[in-house]
Amino acid sequence: MPEPTFLDSTELVLNMGPQHPSTHGVLRVILKLDGEKVIGTECVIGYLHRGVEKIAENRTYTMFAPYVDRMDYIAAISNGLGYCLAVEKLLKVEAPPRAQVVRVILTELNRIASHLFWLGTHALDIGAITPLFYTLREREEILKIFEDYCGARLTTHAFRIGGLQYEVHDGLERQVKDFCDYIVPKIDEYEELLTNNRIWVERLKGVGILTADECKQFGVTGPVLRAAGVQWDLRKAQPYSGYEKYDFDVPIAHGADTYDRYVVRMLEMRQCVRILRQAVEGIPEGPILAKVGKVIKPAAGEAYVSIEAPKGELGYFIVSDGSTQPYRLRVRPPSLINLQALDRMVRGGLVADVVAIIGTLDIVLGEVDR
Amino acid sequence: MAATPWEGELVNDVKRQFGAQILEASSYLDQNFFVVAPEAVISLLEFLRLEADFDYLVDLTAAHYPDRENQFDLFYILYSFARNERIRVKTSIAETATPSTAVGVHLTADWLEREVFDMFGIRFDGHPNMTRLLLPEDWQGYPLRKQKTLIDMDNRWVQENLGIESGQ
Amino acid sequence: MKKFLRTIFLVDLLQGLWVTFRNQHPKHIYTEQYPAERPKVAERYRGAPRLNINPDNGETLCIACNLCALACPENLIVVTSERNEQTRRKELTEFTYDTSRCMFCGLCEDACPVDALELTQDFELATYTRDGLIWDRQLLEEGPKPTPYRF
Repeated sequence: MPEPTFLDSTELVLNMGPQHPSTHGVLRVILKLDGEKVIGTECVIGYLHRGVEKIAENRTYTMFAPYVDRMDYIAAISNGLGYCLAVEKLLKVEAPPRAQVVRVILTELNRIASHLFWLGTHALDIGAITPLFYTLREREEILKIFEDYCGARLTTHAFRIGGLQYEVHDGLERQVKDFCDYIVPKIDEYEELLTNNRIWVERLKGVGILTADECKQFGVTGPVLRAAGVQWDLRKAQPYSGYEKYDFDVPIAHGADTYDRYVVRMLEMRQCVRILRQAVEGIPEGPILAKVGKVIKPAAGEAYVSIEAPKGELGYFIVSDGSTQPYRLRVRPPSLINLQALDRMVRGGLVADVVAIIGTLDIVLGEVDR
Repeated sequence: MAATPWEGELVNDVKRQFGAQILEASSYLDQNFFVVAPEAVISLLEFLRLEADFDYLVDLTAAHYPDRENQFDLFYILYSFARNERIRVKTSIAETATPSTAVGVHLTADWLEREVFDMFGIRFDGHPNMTRLLLPEDWQGYPLRKQKTLIDMDNRWVQENLGIESGQ
Repeated sequence: MKKFLRTIFLVDLLQGLWVTFRNQHPKHIYTEQYPAERPKVAERYRGAPRLNINPDNGETLCIACNLCALACPENLIVVTSERNEQTRRKELTEFTYDTSRCMFCGLCEDACPVDALELTQDFELATYTRDGLIWDRQLLEEGPKPTPYRF
């Protein structure tokens, strides 16, 4: 074999992660490079695997509820909502109207928090450090509301099977209204910082294209799918928890690239504010817990229930054998399935764009690995 | 499970196409599902995708029933954007069976099948890369099977790789 | 033409810089001065556990019913009790709470029928030893003692 000369190009295997600041956790990507060009990737995941599905088999339905918060810890409330809805489906009960409205309020706040966190870290990956401080500052306001409501900020355990864990605290309405008034100018501010910023646009436009057909093939959901022009949101398509009562739009874009995913998420935050304003106006009086009994024991059977989490479709598939513990509980994590499309998105692109594309998928490794 | 029969145009079409391979078409808690013979799964997925617009494989998972003859249940959850409808395809396979891969029909199945292999030890025939997804390569055993040796698996791996007595 | 001028004069970048500049104002300072100033946590905050005692007679409120131990997903509560022959009631002898495994979900305080076990507003749980994370009855009844910091 001849010695490689100065002009020869050979395939370079570059190991990115698991301890890399812009893999958003412990994702390891093995990149095969030809110069600056990515010719193949392989994702190595599982560094954060805790066996959530196995834990579920050894806990009662009530006991398992705090664990779901630890999957997508950026949007813990969405996880809890999905889980509670799945068990409620098996139990054939529905949360009372008051609980449903409060659930919507908290979930939408959580969606804004998740998108804010995404925006900050994604911008940081690209090189814009400033938005991180601002977005985390605004997220703090949301976490304060969570703290006042349920006593925890991140892994909230706010909902309970059949309704809510806690009665609404005094001043939730006021807090949410103030927050709505506070966040809209802030979103404008982020847009001022980024939307027309030439560096931001140059780095994101046309990068990591995933067309609608490819999205469907890979099962990619959430803002990534909507940025490819598919107007599909589970809150509209199969409304749960009373989402059919609110008037909101599902923002879409047609570029299917990283920039459009940013646009879609920014628009989504504004829609969240719209839902929040409607929800907080009419929190009905009444009980916060349906009649589910102390011991939760659904009849034998299977059910799959999914919700629109900030990252995409989050589903819970529960097989019950009629006991107090789930026989099999499967979580359909949006992050894992969205991450699968990474290979398609980075292939043929530049190595510098890999970071942007990982960021745009909005993965949380706690959820990828479970 | 008190499932009620599921009727409709789709069921008729599928039954006409597959005949006796469709063992059951039922609905429980307003969720429709087919129970099919294992050899018909892939062709059914293909049929549903091409003829009935079920173009999105939501999830693929399994469950273990150690006391049954066919130890594993495989679940394919499908969704159709055009119909806004979700169905499940369910099949039972023996412990030693190697069902065909669904990667040819839905690309999503790639990692999902690897995860099922990782957790249950079901090998999918024809899968391009049938390796563990979440657990370490040298892990012994399949944790989501209903067995009592999970703690042993953990201890063994910790002893071999970390050189300490127990991870617990 | 307009776009060209905007590009030449760096309008988009200056717009962003102006946002950064606006946020420099001292009223936007957001940093928590912990530990110099102890942050005020919410009333419902789920922090360090405490076993409440009856303020009138100094006896524990706990009736040793073991419901908290059964409710705990991590099985970290151990309640031991003995039967008092005179009153024919169970009395609490020992109560251990392993804070190293606790995830502060609040299921135990939710299960408590007499409001004896409570998650308090204290959040300083760090110790120098692993054994120090396992709290016994005495520690739980005394309740958290926030460390005063001096500068």
